[in-house]
Amino acid sequence: MNDIFETIKSILDYKIYNGVNVADLLRFTAIIIVTVIIAKVAKINARRILKEKVPKTTLNAVEKVVYYGIIFIGFMAALPYIGFSLSGLLVAGGIAGIVIGFASQTVVSNFISGLFLLIEKPIKIGDGVSIGDVGGVVKDIRILSTTIRTWDGIYVRIPNEKVFTSNIKNFVAHAARRFEYKIGIRYKDDAEKAIEVIKKLLEEHPFILKEPAPQIFVEELGDSSVNLAVRIWAPSTVWFSVKTEMLWKIKVALEKEGIQIPFPQRVIWMAGKTEG
Amino acid sequence: MFGEYKLNVKIEEEDLKLLVEGRGKRKRYYRKVGEEEVEKFIHADKGKLVVCPVEPVNLPKEGVSEYLLVELDKPLIIEPKTESSVYLKFPIEIGVFLVDEIDVERIDIFTKTMPKYILYGPPESGIICKWWNSSVYNEIPEVDKLYEGILRLDVKNAYEEWVEIKKVVLRAIDMKIFYDGYAYMHASLKILKKSLGETTFFDRLPRGMKRAIDIYLAKGIKRLEKKFVMEWGFK
Repeated sequence: MNDIFETIKSILDYKIYNGVNVADLLRFTAIIIVTVIIAKVAKINARRILKEKVPKTTLNAVEKVVYYGIIFIGFMAALPYIGFSLSGLLVAGGIAGIVIGFASQTVVSNFISGLFLLIEKPIKIGDGVSIGDVGGVVKDIRILSTTIRTWDGIYVRIPNEKVFTSNIKNFVAHAARRFEYKIGIRYKDDAEKAIEVIKKLLEEHPFILKEPAPQIFVEELGDSSVNLAVRIWAPSTVWFSVKTEMLWKIKVALEKEGIQIPFPQRVIWMAGKTEG
Repeated sequence: MFGEYKLNVKIEEEDLKLLVEGRGKRKRYYRKVGEEEVEKFIHADKGKLVVCPVEPVNLPKEGVSEYLLVELDKPLIIEPKTESSVYLKFPIEIGVFLVDEIDVERIDIFTKTMPKYILYGPPESGIICKWWNSSVYNEIPEVDKLYEGILRLDVKNAYEEWVEIKKVVLRAIDMKIFYDGYAYMHASLKILKKSLGETTFFDRLPRGMKRAIDIYLAKGIKRLEKKFVMEWGFK
């Protein structure tokens, strides 16, 4: 029996490097494992407590801060067991800090941008947005990056620094939005009648808002047509389906009333033959 | 029309046809209103069918709005520091539910009304509401029970000036709908300032009426706030 204890003791005391033995390595591993468990429990509890009280994006950020904060503390507490003294680290930190600082400035920049995005909240998960030249639905806002599912279904990861410094268009941040059609009718058609036809059609559509009311007016006397502007407000969540639906319906309704959309045309005047 | 039915049932009223038919467990649900038809299969022995009015914000598409804005066809002017009650009408959406002792399953919602939406407040911070136009009645009005319900509105002007009311905004999650022959809600509007008020609903069951199934409770959505603040005025 004693032999077994002796063997275990000799294994635990076996020096790996610089005074660090197997027992130290096991302590380090145990601390890391316990830390990860504590971090996961804390993360779950943070979610349970805050779920009903804070928005999803903030909840995600809090979860991550809690989780990685505990991991960081545990890791720092465990470091001395593998031969890294914190005081030594602080001394070495000066030089290492500069080196790491240069190496990780992009990461830090993304991290800070991510924090500002979470505070400023120009976008939320599920919003339809355009960030720089990428348009789509926000799927996740992480500490370092934001992921977008583009309109055609492609996964795009954008570093938070780029998100933060880009022009952001959020299509659903406001409850309602406006879109516009330009519709040309023939010069011989009655523009007032056309306006009435379009107005009646728009009134029948549930998603075309009663207020702000649609605006329909003669905008321009064009080369080939009298151009009507049709401005419509719709709930931001459904505006695109309304936009794709209404243009054809307007065309059909106008034609039903004998009002036509003309082709481009040019009147050519033929000069008479000169008599010689 | 509104009420609880056994799983084999046939209802025909005006242009509405609703039936559950079949033998044993295998049944067929069919509903037609106007030109719209819905057909589903139900495999069930126990349970019952409940047809009742629901919060009128689900059609034509869920999630667009959770508010009902009732616009008064003629404004109501109320003097300072007084209370008064009026009756309005609201649009009806009818829910069909399968109910047993444990669970409630919504199988259909339909309406005979023509839905329309409106923005209450400015585009950048306002809210989308389902819109309905109503006259103001001093007595309980007659209603087409499949088309409109009755909303009793207790108006309390707690402000020190005359206030003109042209619209009332009600939040669906707060609504308490009751039914007998017709759908009924009892709400209050408390005017706090010239263009600020709050709307709430009364939960007390009126005599002879039944409580409609609450879609939000059925979904498990908790009610944290019970008042809606009309911060963009009454005009």
